[in-house]
Amino acid sequence: MLVTIYRVIKFAWQGFWRNFWLSLVTVSIIALASLTVNALLALNVVADSAVTSLEQKIDVSIYFDPVVDTPKVKEVQDYLGKLSQVTAITLVTADDAMKEFRQRHARDAAILETLEELGDNPLGATLVVTAQHPSDYPEIIQVLNHSPYRDLVSDENYKDHQRTINEIRLIADRINQAGIAISALFVLIATLIVFNTIRVAIYTHRDEIGIMKLVGASNAFITAPFVLEGVLYALCATGLAVAVTFPLLNAVQPYLQDFFTGVPLDLAGYFRENFVAIFGSQLLGMSALNMVGSVFAVRRYLKV
Amino acid sequence: MIIFRNVSKIYFPERTVALANVSFEVLAGEFISIVGKSGTGKTTLVKILTAEERASEGQVVVGGWDITHIRSREVPYLRRQIGVVFQDYKLLQKKTVFENVAFAMQVIGARPSRIRKIVPEVLKIVGLADKHDRFPRHLSGGEQQRVAIARALAHGPKILVADEPTGNLDTATSQEIIELLLKINQIGTTVLFVSHDEGRVNQIRRRVLVLDQGTLTSDEAVGRYRLS
Ligand SMILES: Nc1ncnc2c1ncn2[C@@H]1O[C@H](COP(=O)(O)OP(=O)(O)OP(=O)(O)O)[C@@H](O)[C@H]1O
Ligand SMILES: [Mg+2]
Repeated sequence: MLVTIYRVIKFAWQGFWRNFWLSLVTVSIIALASLTVNALLALNVVADSAVTSLEQKIDVSIYFDPVVDTPKVKEVQDYLGKLSQVTAITLVTADDAMKEFRQRHARDAAILETLEELGDNPLGATLVVTAQHPSDYPEIIQVLNHSPYRDLVSDENYKDHQRTINEIRLIADRINQAGIAISALFVLIATLIVFNTIRVAIYTHRDEIGIMKLVGASNAFITAPFVLEGVLYALCATGLAVAVTFPLLNAVQPYLQDFFTGVPLDLAGYFRENFVAIFGSQLLGMSALNMVGSVFAVRRYLKV
Repeated sequence: MIIFRNVSKIYFPERTVALANVSFEVLAGEFISIVGKSGTGKTTLVKILTAEERASEGQVVVGGWDITHIRSREVPYLRRQIGVVFQDYKLLQKKTVFENVAFAMQVIGARPSRIRKIVPEVLKIVGLADKHDRFPRHLSGGEQQRVAIARALAHGPKILVADEPTGNLDTATSQEIIELLLKINQIGTTVLFVSHDEGRVNQIRRRVLVLDQGTLTSDEAVGRYRLS
């Protein structure tokens, strides 16, 4: 039995090297398919971080009429603070708002002049509400709009954020769909090429196969080296994919970091953490595909 | 050792009748020649024996084993009991004489120690002990056929089937191969020798089966076959 296993491995190994260039192309194509899948994964990670970062930045500002005085605003603050979805409410008084406004436009003489002419503070107080989850905001606003305080509110600026999130989600989904299509295409091409390579390998070995059949080698023994060769392709390709993926991730990391300032985004870390799941499943999937391919390709030579 | 009972073989889709109602029995240790013109079903008979083809009708028994409806899973075990050689030797050009014989043993799981013991033995039987590291292309046709015979003997078959082994060889070399087959028969192997060469077969002075268009027309204890 051990002798047989040794021979199967030896034959598979010989088959791999006998058509070296073809093996190389095959391994590269599988690795490429694996890379497209990984790119898709990375993209999802980036999209998720982008959305998370936006969600973290979201809050709702509730603007009050200038006529509403601070105690009344505080009342609203207490009222909303009782809602379970609300995590924080900051009160920006009319004076604070004014100060900030002046600071922001400190170098704009025209605006400052206009303010002087107005005399009265035209700004009202603002409540900045942060919720547990972006989907909580509509509810919070709903509650506010059905409360007795409804008439005190001049405006709230919620909708814009929602649109941005939706847009990002939409873009991510689009890219995802395209990515899935491209990955599927690459996996399909890889499968076809593997299938073809195994067929060439089998064709190269047709004399040997004929003699094996003649002298009574079992079909399992004849098939096993080709199946193993398929697994060998998957193994080499996964190794290659690992060797290429990490440097690539490290190369794009600084750019992404620039783009998503303040968001913890560690692509290589993600791939390192999920190493076994990501590359293991790719190895298994590719091996399985290659094994099935070899069995099919070798079958017609076994009919005699 | 071999029993054919009313065996017919029809090839589809042309419905070519290759064998029609053929019956004969070969005893253990016999040397039997099968002759007939081209296309009379000799190779078909061999293929049924090695389960490369199945009989359309009738019954085939080899060494007490009814292989009429043999499952493909069992075919390897049948083939390990039958050594086969062909007109075109079927040697692996990239392997030496030794490796060619050894390969046949490797693929059916023989241990290395056994291979090292058996291969020189069978090469000695066929008279090629001194040429074990040659490649087939550096051998004459007769020598290549000897390698093929050595390979067929490597797993100690009870039956040796030779389908026109002398087809590509000149008269003197053919004679040597036939003498080798007779020698192997003497050691105790049942030999089935297929040929279309009347003179050669009659010379052997052993049992001869004659096939004509798929039918067995003669079964003589000592060949007196004449091509008409
Ligand atoms: N696989 C096949 N499919 C269809 N017909 C076949 C097949 N093999 C053989 N035949 C036909 O069966 C008949 C017998 O062929 P077979 O090869 O047994 O003859 P043979 O006696 O060995 O001839 P030869 O002396 O030329 O080798 C022929 O008419 C041939 O055309
Ligand atoms: Mg023939």
